[in-house]
Amino acid sequence: MRRPYARFLAMAALSLPLTTAAPLGGHGLRDASPGVTFARLTDSAPAATAPPILPLPGGRSPSEQKAHSFYFTRAMYSGWGGGWGGGGFGGGSWSVDYPVADRWIVSVLGRLTGVDVFPLENPVRLDDPDLRRFPFLYALEVGGMNLRKEEVEGLRDYLLAGGFLVIDDFWGESEWYTFEREIRRILPEYEIVDIGLDHPIFSTFYEIDEIIQVPNVGQGIAGGPTHENGETGRIPRVRGIFDEQGRLMVIINWNTDLGDAWEWAEDPAYPLQYSTYAYQMAANFIVYAMSR
Amino acid sequence: MALGLWELLFKYPPLVFEKGRIVFATPLPAWVLVLATALAALAAWTYLLRVRELSGMDRAGMLALRTSLLALLLVLLFRPTLQVPVAVEQENYLGILVDDSRSMLVADDGSSTRAQELIQRLDTDLLEALSERFRIRLFSFSGDTKRVEEVGQLSFLGGQTRLGRALDQAQSELAGVSLAGLVLVTDGADQSEAELNSSVLSARASGLPVYTVGVGREEFQRDIEVRRVSSPRGVLRGTSMMVDLVIAQNGYAGRTVPLIVEDEGRVVNTQDVELPMDGTPATVRVHFTADEPGWRRFTFRVPLQDDELVTENNRRETLVNVREGPQKVLYLEGEPRFEVKFMRRAVTDDAEVQLVVLQRTAENKFLRLDVDSGEELVDGFPLTREELFSYRALVIGSVEASFFSREQLQMIVDFVSERGGSVLFLGGRRSFAEGGYAGTPIADLLPVELDPNGDPDYYRELKVTPTRAGAAHAALQLSSDPAESAERWSTLPELSTFNRLTRLKPGATSLLVGEGPGVEEGQVVLAFQRYGRGLVLALPVQDSWIWQMHADIPLEDETHETFWRQTLRWLVNEVPDQLTLTASAEPAAINHAVELQAELRDSAFQRINNAAISASIASPSGASTELPLRSTNQVNGEYLASFLPKEGGVHQIRLRAERDGEELATSTLALDAAEDDGEFFSAQMRAPLLRRIAEETGGRFYGLSDIEQLVEDVQYSGSGITRVESYDLWDMPIVFLLIVGLVGGEWAFRRRRGLP
Repeated sequence: MRRPYARFLAMAALSLPLTTAAPLGGHGLRDASPGVTFARLTDSAPAATAPPILPLPGGRSPSEQKAHSFYFTRAMYSGWGGGWGGGGFGGGSWSVDYPVADRWIVSVLGRLTGVDVFPLENPVRLDDPDLRRFPFLYALEVGGMNLRKEEVEGLRDYLLAGGFLVIDDFWGESEWYTFEREIRRILPEYEIVDIGLDHPIFSTFYEIDEIIQVPNVGQGIAGGPTHENGETGRIPRVRGIFDEQGRLMVIINWNTDLGDAWEWAEDPAYPLQYSTYAYQMAANFIVYAMSR
Repeated sequence: MALGLWELLFKYPPLVFEKGRIVFATPLPAWVLVLATALAALAAWTYLLRVRELSGMDRAGMLALRTSLLALLLVLLFRPTLQVPVAVEQENYLGILVDDSRSMLVADDGSSTRAQELIQRLDTDLLEALSERFRIRLFSFSGDTKRVEEVGQLSFLGGQTRLGRALDQAQSELAGVSLAGLVLVTDGADQSEAELNSSVLSARASGLPVYTVGVGREEFQRDIEVRRVSSPRGVLRGTSMMVDLVIAQNGYAGRTVPLIVEDEGRVVNTQDVELPMDGTPATVRVHFTADEPGWRRFTFRVPLQDDELVTENNRRETLVNVREGPQKVLYLEGEPRFEVKFMRRAVTDDAEVQLVVLQRTAENKFLRLDVDSGEELVDGFPLTREELFSYRALVIGSVEASFFSREQLQMIVDFVSERGGSVLFLGGRRSFAEGGYAGTPIADLLPVELDPNGDPDYYRELKVTPTRAGAAHAALQLSSDPAESAERWSTLPELSTFNRLTRLKPGATSLLVGEGPGVEEGQVVLAFQRYGRGLVLALPVQDSWIWQMHADIPLEDETHETFWRQTLRWLVNEVPDQLTLTASAEPAAINHAVELQAELRDSAFQRINNAAISASIASPSGASTELPLRSTNQVNGEYLASFLPKEGGVHQIRLRAERDGEELATSTLALDAAEDDGEFFSAQMRAPLLRRIAEETGGRFYGLSDIEQLVEDVQYSGSGITRVESYDLWDMPIVFLLIVGLVGGEWAFRRRRGLP
């Protein structure tokens, strides 16, 4: 009984414009939607850190969906954390905010930019050869990342072939070290460097002149401190990994949570400045990834 | 032998019968003839009565033999005579043109040269015999024709054999005198056949027979020749050049020889070539990179093999303008697409190509990449010809036709047809018919036919395969080894298209086609056509980046980069500058004027007439010449000058156009001048050509071995001052043989049939 209702809510929410206040209750949507989408899988497959390719609504796998210019592709990676879905509801840390944030971002991006965007989520495992069909990849909560060898190789080849990875929503020193350890396994020969505001990624589509710390939804609505994980989570950083030609391969958004801002943009209680910034950053990432 | 037998039986050579006419020249009065005819008829009648009682077969046989004999005797009574116009002794001139070119130094049999054989044959009794009847005028010819007094004056050092020019100049020299004919002694290695055709027509029209004497062999026993080199005239520095050569050979079948490519003497490639069966030319494709800028002389040579008859034809040279970039290509993309990212990456290391991107990222929002200045493309897609024509090529991505104004659409057409630029149309949801281009000026430009409406739901995945033309095209070589290139094409992952395009325009060429479920046969993946001065390509796929990103493509694979680098270089390689310079003959011949033709246009590529253009020509020895070019006043923007190269080697020509003291444009040309160009290539004696010249003008073709026959034949040429000579036919041995045969036949018939 719960599943059809939840899907209806999700789709109804997606049909709304970004700036419209949604009376449907985003909190409920967040909790319900992932459970709906993955209920069948959790029935048949035990919880695993690297789940198989998930069917998309409509029953078509990502490989069957090639006709669009852009797919908001979410990295399904192995890590700590149990169960699926956002916030620890049955999935690994990769699935936080999934798929609502994904659906919001594709919906809004289709309107903000001229991108011919696939209108649904597109999660792909790092060791899936199909990953290479999607040169834009989003991964979050990487503080819980613990990659298998196949995933390391898959992601390394993906990035060296020309793929572009956006990292989001991890906080503080501890999570940084975890992520750094993993990314060193993937690209040991490349340095992680701070990206200055003069970098084209901050002006490719929108002019961004300040790096804002985007809080999680709870803190955002509560209006209190915006950081997590103590003092080391206080300063938001945008860092990157560049290849030999100086081309950006990985952009790392540390101490910020763009995904929550995408996901909760329709919540009237969530501050507009965060969601505006997050969507502007997303538009820049995507346009940049498709042109540089 | 056959001719000797003929003359034994018929008394006169066949040419006399060919040229003469038979008349009856009996001195007897008419009544005697009538009486004789009546008597013969009476005799036949009487004979008929006598044989009447014989059986049918016997009667017919006897009657036929006897009446034939009677008829023959009666004809002889009328005295048949051959009347032939014969050249009057010493009243006519005979022009003898002897090939003085270097190809006459070929020793066909490995011992004596053509020249030596020729001198031996001419200088003995032949000229003496001819001069008994004619006034001989001896000419030597190669590129030019001049009078000589004796054969000993021939040097055999000339180049650029021009048979047509030789015939024209000899005729002109001998105009006004009675001319019995021209004798052309040559190996027939003509360098200008078109010119020859008109000269032959002219000789034929004036009834002047040309007797041709072929010197040399029609086939060399042992020789290797680099016969033809097909290379582009201009390339960008760093271009991987693909040059096709034809290597002809005899006597070395099955042997593997190296083909060496040199860039100004530096070896840039060596390739083994296995020579096919004798007489069959080998077609060879060589790859090498043009690294050094400027006009470069590339040499293609096969080292001399043992016992080669002609040593000078194992190498060919070609001049190529290796240009430096960066050459600007404007890529307009109508939406954010990964094609932009990966195409830019593919050419990022190519210093000679600058891919300027104008990408529409949202409605009325554009991203400009790799522009030279803040002003470039600041107003979006260029609005003026000057701005658009500053690029050498355009790539137009997924952008609908309505994005452009009518003027911009026409400007794109003019960019190709007038500016000589290239345009590549990429596939996409907003491309081709799906982008509403049917019925626009762009539809005319495209190498493919558009459906009027397009199909917005069309989407197909395509396995891309080169066509035969594509497999041979330089831009589509994914490896220097053709087999490896074909293998790579066959293993590339599928691409996809939104654009159903299967119909090529007449004159367009399909290089890549796509196959797959639901894909119509002939789905174009890459096609091109020339349009005006420029080039138009259609590439109706939207995800060539798959060739870079796909999991089946190894990281080190360069297919995607190679494809785009070569394609973009192809687009810009031959795009003309504002000032162009061409020479009427390349290579030029020493001491023969060559016409330099320049074409000048302004930055909007409108032709300019009132400019001052001068050429600074640096000769190989370092001498410098200034040569002004004059406006032709016939073709807008065209300027001409005549240049006479006086020394062999490469002349560097620098052209400068200015107006009111302001420099408008410059251009360069390297012009090779050669003495012996072509003389040793295809130097076999060309009997068919010489035979044709003779037949078309009423002369005859001889080899050196039967040249004596010429002496007799030429007096019956019918040209010049002639008198009619009568030759009796009644005393031909064949007549007596016939009479004896008929009488003897009758006797034998009687004996055999037991007749009285």
